[in-house]
Amino acid sequence: MVRIFCLLVLCLTLYPLQGYALEPSEKLLFEKNSLYQYIQVIEDTVKKERYVRNQKREFTQGGIYVNAPDKLLLEFTRMSFVSLAFLDSDPKDVLFVGLGAGAMPRYFSGRYPDAVIDIAEIDPDMLAVAQKYFYFKENERMKVHIDDGRLFIKRTKKKFDWIVLDAYQNDYIPFHLTTLEFLREVKNRLKDNGVVAANIVSPFRNKFFDSMVMTYKKTFPHLYIFKGKKSGNFVFVATASSKIRDKDSIEARARKIQSARKFDIDLEDFAARCEACEAYEWEGAKILTDDFAPVNLYQHQKSGAP
Amino acid sequence: MIKFVVFICGAIVMSFEILGSRVLAPNFGSSVFVWGSLISVFLAGLSAGYYLGGRLADTNPSSRKLGLILIAPGLLFMTFPLYSGPVSDWIFVQDLGVRISPLIASSVLFLVPSVFLGIVSPYTAKLMICSLHTSGKTIGTLYALSTFGSIIGTLITSFYLITLVGVNALIMGQGILLIVLTLPLYFMNLNCSIENASQAGGMCDTK
Repeated sequence: MVRIFCLLVLCLTLYPLQGYALEPSEKLLFEKNSLYQYIQVIEDTVKKERYVRNQKREFTQGGIYVNAPDKLLLEFTRMSFVSLAFLDSDPKDVLFVGLGAGAMPRYFSGRYPDAVIDIAEIDPDMLAVAQKYFYFKENERMKVHIDDGRLFIKRTKKKFDWIVLDAYQNDYIPFHLTTLEFLREVKNRLKDNGVVAANIVSPFRNKFFDSMVMTYKKTFPHLYIFKGKKSGNFVFVATASSKIRDKDSIEARARKIQSARKFDIDLEDFAARCEACEAYEWEGAKILTDDFAPVNLYQHQKSGAP
Repeated sequence: MIKFVVFICGAIVMSFEILGSRVLAPNFGSSVFVWGSLISVFLAGLSAGYYLGGRLADTNPSSRKLGLILIAPGLLFMTFPLYSGPVSDWIFVQDLGVRISPLIASSVLFLVPSVFLGIVSPYTAKLMICSLHTSGKTIGTLYALSTFGSIIGTLITSFYLITLVGVNALIMGQGILLIVLTLPLYFMNLNCSIENASQAGGMCDTK
């Protein structure tokens, strides 16, 4: 008994924080086992980049250039802004689900200083990291709510022009943020012409991706998909209104926003990559519901689409 | 047969617990608070059930009565989808905080069935002991079977069942399984005949 106890204590002291898999150029700035995840802040001293991630480098949640913290480092954060081209007017009320390093809300508020931004983030330690290492600051127009994204959306009375869903970690996707019921709750919180942008990770095309396409399609009148060039990220853009948007109008709108709001990313180029979701539809994929959502399994299974 | 019942009930307890996490997530998330509430409520239910089961087992235990006891959770499971949604929604609306909300929801949804399933272990132990005489071996075997059932229930549910069918269908299926189990319990009609004899001769020590 005593021996087992000693062994357990030994395991517990040896195991936890050990700075997973660092490259020689990487410096560990911070690590913590929070209530929800293992958080690691790393700085690459050669590339001059700083990231927040879980365990492996593929699990990067956010990052910045150390010398240019106002630029967007990760492809999916840049790509997500293309969804603004689906709005007819400037967004006034905006919701981010999932804070990460806070790069997207910070970038957005720099370009739309009049917008009111709400952010739902479940992990208070993530907020502390964003503030300490990623120049994130709350102000009277930009507030972080420490809450589960779904619970915040169910509880809020506000309606939003633009909702950005980025609460999936690559290794673990909370199933209750993927279901038809959840997306209906999201749609409920959108204004009539509102737009949702979601970051969906699918390094190889998996069943989870197939199911997300069908679940979004079932919830929203229109879904458009943008595929990352450098990463396995897709950005899903879904609209609350049934108005159809063709590529030309989106590109035109992207160009207009780009110059009006001084974006330093090429929104028009992203807009040109717009794909109708029909290309990805596969009738055999199951719609995810609160009752049935084997997300973690589907992530590891290859797409069944021909 | 009794051993089979113990095994299945052990499997159902843990399978229900895994499914419980899915039931709670839409309204309460899947944080460590939700898991903590869920696990402690199941353990509370089981410990109350063990205590009650032990007392019930001392007054003329029979397999028929055990069957009656299993009907209760059976019916609760079969009707689970009818009340779980409204109950969770109502508790969500009360908004009692990230810890209390899931604790109350777990108590309302999972406590009663786990009390009934907890009764099974001591009750069957008594039934088998008084018809055999090797009490230590019998109790050991039943404990092992119940826990082995729990392992199988946990693994099968989290690895396979959840990927095949919906949560509600699985819980209803468990209800049907419990009701079906009562049939053989009724017909085998196992009593504690030695208990009656022991009142005179003291063959079976009920303490």
